Amino acid sequence: MDAQEPPWKVFRAFEQPNGGALVHLLNVSGGVLAGDDLSLRIDVGPAAVAQVTSTGATRLYRHRNGARTSRQHTEISVADGGLLEYLPDALVPFAGSRHAQTSTVTLAGGASLFSWEVVAPGRQAMDEVFAFESLRVKTMVRSAARPVSMEQFLLEPGARDLRSLARLGSYTHTASFYAIQIGRPAGDLRQLEAELNEIAREVSRPGVMIWGASALASGGVIVRGLSATARDLPATLARYWTTARRFLTGEDPVPPRKLR
Amino acid sequence: MLLELLQLAGAALPVGAAAHSFGLETLAEEGVVGPEKLEDFLRDQLEESGRLEAVFVRRAWRGDDPALLSVEFGARRPARESRDAALKMGRRFAELFNAISAERVPLDLHYPVAFGVASAALRIPEESSVLSYLQQSVTGLVSACQRLMPIGQIAASRIIWNLRPAIVRVARHSEDLEVTCFTPLPDLGSMRHSMVETRLFIS
Repeated sequence: MDAQEPPWKVFRAFEQPNGGALVHLLNVSGGVLAGDDLSLRIDVGPAAVAQVTSTGATRLYRHRNGARTSRQHTEISVADGGLLEYLPDALVPFAGSRHAQTSTVTLAGGASLFSWEVVAPGRQAMDEVFAFESLRVKTMVRSAARPVSMEQFLLEPGARDLRSLARLGSYTHTASFYAIQIGRPAGDLRQLEAELNEIAREVSRPGVMIWGASALASGGVIVRGLSATARDLPATLARYWTTARRFLTGEDPVPPRKLR
Repeated sequence: MLLELLQLAGAALPVGAAAHSFGLETLAEEGVVGPEKLEDFLRDQLEESGRLEAVFVRRAWRGDDPALLSVEFGARRPARESRDAALKMGRRFAELFNAISAERVPLDLHYPVAFGVASAALRIPEESSVLSYLQQSVTGLVSACQRLMPIGQIAASRIIWNLRPAIVRVARHSEDLEVTCFTPLPDLGSMRHSMVETRLFIS
């Protein structure tokens, strides 16, 4: 919270029962406007514990002629033994929006990251489903030694059918959850994968919502979900988070009030 | 050169491709992908995963560090079973290649990286390498589907034949080396593969 400029507003940190800092992030303009170029930097110090969440969904507004594609760049670093829970609300691309988002996460030895991301198809209640122009997302997570996870996709509903069976099929919402702890042995991660897949087996209802978990090439586990509705996503993600947090740190997470 | 390429990209090359469905088994088992939707599925799969793999074939062919490329490829593959399958096939490919040719491909590379390194070593043109890699990849998936759903030999051959323009298009698009891939449903097919009761494939 060293520096902040509108439209970002960072509320003062609250101490959590586990000694961590809870930080709420707000975009006071109500969403991301065409031409916006936003940056966010989060540094978690050695052995520090922080939870960063948002006060509501990130709304991506319609593109305006002459404006640049809106952009947001998030840079995160977690030092030795530090722990970050980065739990933003869903990304909602409105009709006609064009947005590019990049996130770079650097984790030191023994650092932990629990984070999720939900992408909605638009304002479903207004029949805005896949009516945005483009959404480019690039998320890179790396340790000092190697990349842990690299995800990069471009959604252009007008050019590529998102309902293709090679993409979303009948689902509309995507959710990803990362549970990463640098230096954790591969065997542990396979065990965590199995535990998270038990939840996936229990909550999946093909056609409505499906989930799966997989150990990453190193350092962590990813959980992915597809759903036809936003309704059950936060509670389900919180379940994965709880299980992974217990497994990797031996502690229960302290959920933000909106998830209790 | 042509003969080498035909052998390395041929369906008969024993790299273990027949043991992997890359998540298709789950999608077939759950009734998501069937014979009538297979061609469209594979066309879009080519545009996403195919393009990603084509970029790695190109980068390996052009001389990027194969070990680093392989680590990056692994980081871009979230589903463990599919990632491991590409690594096993790459290792088997390298062992085979090293045994039959005078050139050397490092072991422990993911398949598209190993393929690109081998093609460059044999001075096979870059474009031919990428096209043949994509073609053998599609052939492998169609072959897997013949064991998962009712598809005859003629229908299978027709699908591969019809996908030629898509293969050419994807190879062309991969020239810019931009790596984007959005395949959440097939990825989940791979992540959920262990939940399929009776499995024919390792992945």
